[in-house]
Amino acid sequence: MDFALIHNLGVGFGVALSLQNLMYCFFGVLLGTLVGVLPGIGPMATIAMLLPVTFNLSPISALIMLAGIYYGASYGGSTTAILVNLPGESSSVVTCLDGYQMARRGRAGPALAIAAMGSFFAGCVATVVIALFAPPLAEVALKFGPAEYFSLMVLGLVGATVLAHGSLVKAIAMTILGLLMGLVGTDVNSGVARFSFGISELSDGINFVVVAMGLFGFAEIIVNLEQGEAREVFVNKVTGLMPTWKDLKDSSGAVLRGTAIGCVLGILPGGGALLSAFAAYTVEKKIGDTSMFGKGEIRGVAAPESANNAGAQTSFIPLLTLGIPSNPVMALMIGAMMIQGIAPGPQVMTERPELFWGMIASMWMGNLMLVVLNLPLIGMWVKLLTVPYRLLYPAILLFCCVGVYSLSNQPFDVMLTAVYGLIGYVFVKLECEPAPLILGFILGPLMEENLRRAMLLSRGDPTVFFTKPISGVLLGVALVLLLITLAPAVQKTREEAFLE
Amino acid sequence: MHIKNGKDFWAGLMFIGFGLWFAVVSQNYPMGSAVRMGPAYFPTVLGGMLAVLGAMVFFRAFVSKIAHPLKVFLFRPALLVGSIVVGGATYLAESQLKGAPMVQYALAGLSLLLFIGAFGPRSMFLILLAVVIFGYALKPLGLVLAIVILIALSAAGGHDFRNKEIAILTIVLAIFSVYAFVKGLGLPFNLWPGE
Repeated sequence: MDFALIHNLGVGFGVALSLQNLMYCFFGVLLGTLVGVLPGIGPMATIAMLLPVTFNLSPISALIMLAGIYYGASYGGSTTAILVNLPGESSSVVTCLDGYQMARRGRAGPALAIAAMGSFFAGCVATVVIALFAPPLAEVALKFGPAEYFSLMVLGLVGATVLAHGSLVKAIAMTILGLLMGLVGTDVNSGVARFSFGISELSDGINFVVVAMGLFGFAEIIVNLEQGEAREVFVNKVTGLMPTWKDLKDSSGAVLRGTAIGCVLGILPGGGALLSAFAAYTVEKKIGDTSMFGKGEIRGVAAPESANNAGAQTSFIPLLTLGIPSNPVMALMIGAMMIQGIAPGPQVMTERPELFWGMIASMWMGNLMLVVLNLPLIGMWVKLLTVPYRLLYPAILLFCCVGVYSLSNQPFDVMLTAVYGLIGYVFVKLECEPAPLILGFILGPLMEENLRRAMLLSRGDPTVFFTKPISGVLLGVALVLLLITLAPAVQKTREEAFLE
Repeated sequence: MHIKNGKDFWAGLMFIGFGLWFAVVSQNYPMGSAVRMGPAYFPTVLGGMLAVLGAMVFFRAFVSKIAHPLKVFLFRPALLVGSIVVGGATYLAESQLKGAPMVQYALAGLSLLLFIGAFGPRSMFLILLAVVIFGYALKPLGLVLAIVILIALSAAGGHDFRNKEIAILTIVLAIFSVYAFVKGLGLPFNLWPGE
């Protein structure tokens, strides 16, 4: 068994180390960091924006590049969090707390270095975890029938709603709205074009890039412009990158704990980077000397940064083994795989081993490149931060537009993205988190398909979802998750956690 | 009854609207049975669930402990009415306008503009307008002119418009796009009008 693992990893590194794929990995990491550093664009918008760049590549190169964009964007996000106190994404929120304080004390360099080293370590561990756990899980998944898949998707969606900011009811409503929007277009079973009103572009369905770019890219720009900008950049204070021995000693425990927490939480549906970072920070705050937390404690940077990287990476496990995205970024990855003609699921590992293992190996390579790339280039990223937003957003807008237009070379998609930008703005104003919507959007057609098959097989008996053991357990877990969230005590701490 | 949470109030209405809309439109398709679900089955059920959840959010707005004003964002009712009038007229006059599709498109576009203009800040209107014009101008006008329009309009949506800066930004982005997207990535855009 161990031999098989080594053999598989060998295949993977063989693919990932080809000159071409190394180059795409490098470009992905570089582009991802570049866009991720820019304040006001999170990884979601970054990936959505850069997705069209990968259209013309071979599937494996495209996935390697996208994964690189993903880590690059997360890493760039933490740079912004530390230097500008502006979380590019929700998982860097915790990094802001102590990272920004360190920067204010002239210790931005060590904070950035520890974030990079912690992320690299966590990335290495998470890569091994994926290599170890994905194959057995995929074997289980091969036994899944439509009922199990349906229940699994319900669990994934519940997980996503539980983790959404704010009101649970609104999050569930957003998920359902996403499922419905995903149904627009031609129904595969009957050939009926649903909700398309004779518009031929709509009968192919709404492209998920359109939805993601509108809800995350455009809406973010509009909200940023409305709020105006007031930020303080610690540009001149980044001196002396290397952390001291004391820093390394202090943070090594935090990195280990963060990595462990991230690896476990990343696998859970709805988990991933956000939950991992919050949990790691909370744990760290309860251990040892806590007097410096909130005032520039290096452990407060090391733990969440390691955890969110580990979580981000292990959240690939459900995607690669079950074909179920556990968070919105993974939903984007699914969309990208589908564009490349790959149906995500357990069969990928057996039918396209070079794809699966190549991607895993490239994750490790990508993490290595991040360290090599970011520490020397930090000066360049810092310069980028001083570019005023009034120059940035027209450029971002242009890249988004070109990306959307190139989906089908029709103006219709661009217009639809503008409509989603409008909807996204309304969502922000009404405090409706768009993340569950995008997950529902991707899963909508899959859920309907599996529901139909399950009901056909059971001759219309809906109890099949509870009587089949795996399916029943999955639904049970989903129910427990919902009930726990509704419990008053949890509701209160949840509110506090999101307020922080 | 007093509305305490304006955000919940509008969000509730929005969800109810979306839910009912999907459920009602689904009735145009065959429903099927639980064993053989037709294309209407799943969306009808989901639409109903969404409407119920929307109603929960809506009624919560009256008892909420969190206070938000009812006016969540800028709203210009006159423009909304105008949008509905123009849009409705275009829809009703569809058969008369068959011979003149350009007029029909122009009216539909005007209705959409009024609709978007009715809500939200000026910056949103200008940015979304810039995006839509870019999309429709790209083929007839070519990439370079479309970029000029996009950058100028969207920059006008900001707080601080500086002529010189925007001119330089436009030139830089145009050159970059021509080389990166068209020459580099091989996207099939024409650069100038009528190419």
